[in-house]
Amino acid sequence: MILRPTREDLKAIGWGVGRVILGVGLLMTVPLVTSLVCREWNTALDFAIGILACFSFWLSMEILCPINRDLTWFQGLVIASGGWLVAMVFGAIPHYLSGHFKSYLDACFDLMSGYTTTGLFLLQDLDHLSHGMNMWRHLLTYAGGQGIIVVALTFLFAGTAGALRIYVAEGKEEKLLPNVIRTARAIWMISLTYLAVGTACLWAALLREGMPAGRGFLHALWLFMGAWSTGGFAPQSLNLLYYHSFLVEMITLVIFVIGSFNFALHYAVWTGNRREIYRNVEVRSFVTTLLIGTFLLTLSIAREGVFSGLTVIFRKGFYNLVSGHTTTGNSTIYSVSFYKDLGFLGIFSVIMVMAVGASACSTGGGFKGLRMGIIFRSLRQEVRRILSPESAVVREKIHHIRDIWIDDAMVRAAMFIVLCYVFIYFVGGLLGVAYGYPPHIAFFDSVSAGSNTGLSAGLTSPLMPATLKLYYIFAMWAGRLEFVSILALVGFAGVLVKGRRARHP
Amino acid sequence: MRGNRPIQGLSERRLIRLLALLLFFSFLLLLPGDWSRAESGEWEGFNGPVGISELVEHMEHYDGKTVTVEGEVVGDVMNRDGGAWLTVNDDPYALRSLEEGGDFAGVSNSGIGVWVAADMTREIQHTGDYQEKGDRVRISGVFHRACGEHGGDADIHAQSLEVLVRGYRFEHPFQWKKLAVVLLLLFPAVFLWTVRERTRRKRKRRATR
Repeated sequence: MILRPTREDLKAIGWGVGRVILGVGLLMTVPLVTSLVCREWNTALDFAIGILACFSFWLSMEILCPINRDLTWFQGLVIASGGWLVAMVFGAIPHYLSGHFKSYLDACFDLMSGYTTTGLFLLQDLDHLSHGMNMWRHLLTYAGGQGIIVVALTFLFAGTAGALRIYVAEGKEEKLLPNVIRTARAIWMISLTYLAVGTACLWAALLREGMPAGRGFLHALWLFMGAWSTGGFAPQSLNLLYYHSFLVEMITLVIFVIGSFNFALHYAVWTGNRREIYRNVEVRSFVTTLLIGTFLLTLSIAREGVFSGLTVIFRKGFYNLVSGHTTTGNSTIYSVSFYKDLGFLGIFSVIMVMAVGASACSTGGGFKGLRMGIIFRSLRQEVRRILSPESAVVREKIHHIRDIWIDDAMVRAAMFIVLCYVFIYFVGGLLGVAYGYPPHIAFFDSVSAGSNTGLSAGLTSPLMPATLKLYYIFAMWAGRLEFVSILALVGFAGVLVKGRRARHP
Repeated sequence: MRGNRPIQGLSERRLIRLLALLLFFSFLLLLPGDWSRAESGEWEGFNGPVGISELVEHMEHYDGKTVTVEGEVVGDVMNRDGGAWLTVNDDPYALRSLEEGGDFAGVSNSGIGVWVAADMTREIQHTGDYQEKGDRVRISGVFHRACGEHGGDADIHAQSLEVLVRGYRFEHPFQWKKLAVVLLLLFPAVFLWTVRERTRRKRKRRATR
């Protein structure tokens, strides 16, 4: 028997979502200040409206939904998944008011793309966008990379056990420190340190490449945010191609590779455990799939004959492959080049690495290296079992911070999530084909959205059908949260309608 | 322990089969079908200006040829190595950007990087952004699909640059309506804050009793 959520459940969810929206409102103060400094008054008003709307919502929730108990797992899951949707609607207010979106749906698309660190966008006339709006686009992808729940946890939740439940529900299972609030703060500390170093390196590179100091600094900051969060946003429509710079490409490549690694790995290395880099299953999985992808891509590029020479293949082939594998989406070629210049095997290898994606508990998306490692080891275990005598006990382990023995439940959980990803990739691809797009383009963009990558072969545009926009929003959201909290939200909606009312004695 | 394995393993194996099947069908859908659409396009002659999206869509036809493009210079003029990089856009927003009150065209920007000699940049006074209308230029030069000199970038090496229309700085008219919305939203926010503080105080008092 499934019980309908009680009033207490609804209050707890309302309270939690209110806190998340307060977090969104507080984030908007950064672009508000940017707009004021750059004397972009109308943009500043857009953010003032957004902030007031967020604050009003939060205050309403605080008044209507007071709680006196800690959150349950179920409530945590619904807050995480529902919080992202409500955050999308509120975060899209400045986007829509900027006048660069044809519809509110388009603004919501870009918001979800930013939060989920995807990088696809429907914004029109990017090259004439204000600094304030550009700051907002990049900041929300930077914050989204850590997880907007992590943002809220860091500042707005007192050290409750319920905080852990929301944190896990956002698709992050790693606890760097025993306390989840301190874990959230550790994630921020790591990210902010890299922000300072990465921005300084990019700024120096951009100055060397002839950019003026002021704009160079802003571009450096935004490029860092886009690359580190594996969001792939850039302030100009040509993305990384705008800079024509090997140096800038190299720095961003290093940033998004580091950003795609597990925060637990970062923490292990920071605390002196350097050997973890070589032993970690996710690093090994990443290197293996990257090597396979590089082999296929190089074969294809050689066959097509458009790009020749090591530097050119590195900048036009390898860079985009790694960008896809880390689910970043920074690009140094035009969309059409993915299928015209990289060739069939090339586009297939990019789709493959995008589908696999980055590390668990990182800023990236996709199946994740950890799951690939588990599935590969379980397959190896089956083969070894077949080849071994019947009485032999065959077990495999993976190394992720510590040695972990593989069991059936772990394999089943990994397979379930991978299957969910394949399902959303597949449905998105079929939808695209049904709307008349060529299959390779439809599947490329579908995998890109579902794995939160952001590379596009040309399908994603403001003119794409609304159904596809809605589906991509769903795919980005589901892919980022890794399905479990989405299923909880669906279950919540189901029991709201069909569940039996709990009887109080 | 082994006795339980086949039952547990079965669901796992089914999952693997299902996965393999899905991957197989995805691969089939990716096989080349009618996607050699590049050949079917119609392109303009080389005498007049070429559209940049046309240039990008049919790179193979223009590769190594002298082309002329017209558009707005946007972003930055990046001087380096005795030359400079410009970005030239020729989308509808290059004529009238959204910030200037232009209409939605349903497309993103369409631009290309142009490598010019350092002395040519003296001509450029305005580059398009939020507060500026960039100079409208006509550029003739050699188009490269994958420039060997510049790391494989698709670019144009300019031979001539002519400013057709001088750009300008423009002011955004202050949007009073938005200010009114801000003021309107302030009332409920202040009201809600007061109610929240009162209820919090009440609850605290109840708790201390």
